[in-house]
Amino acid sequence: MSTALWLAVAVSALGTLLMRVVPFLWMQRRLNSASGLNNMPEWLGILGPLMIAAVLGVSIVPVNPSAVSWTATAIGLAVTLLVWSRVRSLGWPVAAGVAVFGVVEVAALLW
Amino acid sequence: MNQLAHHSPGQSALQGVREAIPLLGGYIPVALSFGLVATQAGFSTLEATAISALIYAGASQFLFVGMIATGAPLWLVVLMTLLINIRHVVYGPNLAALLPRSRHWPWLMHGLTDQVFALALTRLPQLPEAKRFSWFVGASLLAWGAWIIGTAVGATAGEAFTARWPLLGEIMPFALPALFLTMVAPRFTDKRWAVAMGCTILAALCLTLVGWSNVAIPLAAACGALCFYSMKFYMVKVDTRRRRES
Repeated sequence: MSTALWLAVAVSALGTLLMRVVPFLWMQRRLNSASGLNNMPEWLGILGPLMIAAVLGVSIVPVNPSAVSWTATAIGLAVTLLVWSRVRSLGWPVAAGVAVFGVVEVAALLW
Repeated sequence: MNQLAHHSPGQSALQGVREAIPLLGGYIPVALSFGLVATQAGFSTLEATAISALIYAGASQFLFVGMIATGAPLWLVVLMTLLINIRHVVYGPNLAALLPRSRHWPWLMHGLTDQVFALALTRLPQLPEAKRFSWFVGASLLAWGAWIIGTAVGATAGEAFTARWPLLGEIMPFALPALFLTMVAPRFTDKRWAVAMGCTILAALCLTLVGWSNVAIPLAAACGALCFYSMKFYMVKVDTRRRRES
């Protein structure tokens, strides 16, 4: 890799890091300042959970979309939700969802 | 109180590591793919691994090596990489109130990816304040480490790996939607949140299906926010009308 290419990697890395760290530090200073700005803006508090929902929407699309993978996704998500409604934790629902998704994919392949 | 008395940074970091394990289901296959794609584009194992360690942002890394391989000008490659990553700007402020002040944040925030943000925003409010810093360190370092190792393995043995276990690369990434579903599910008890979340998920899904996955997250979240405020406006309007009638 040439020096110019390494420089491009360094600038991209630094720019990405600044986008992660500067707004965080800015908000921490703002929250702890004596100016009375002790609350996060309402729109930011709304955008956070919506970003998670957007990441969910993006990740729902299977790696290789097909009728089988979409069916496996629907069943897997239903099982995840069902287990979550019983245990209300993160680990078991994910494990159950992945297991059922895998079983449907493998069963479709064997059938 | 009892929980705080037994708090140790090591235990909290381990808890973070444990709770970030489901993220690996999504991270490892994508990191393997990136290592493979990068070597096919002419990068060495060391270079591919360095890109993963330094930039550490999935979609933009694929774009970076793809554009380099097609001979795009470097300034355009950098610009596009940064444009894709601009969504990270809203992640930090959301976590600012949940994390203590520390001089280590300038480098620790390197670990703030989409998935780590989602996990942290869900879990941090449920943890005692004393545990949060170490928890974040544990969770983010595991994800970063897995991303780097996955890239190195993908660059050295990616082809052999995907040829031997082709289904694994399809099944493991399902851990991500399953994890995110458990994170958004609690919000569905509120009507306004349910509509906004549903709108966001659907918009992100549609944008990804039409090939706009790079801008799907910010655009879908903006759609959801619009929906949230429309619902708020509508509910206030209905409430006012009811009051007038009564």
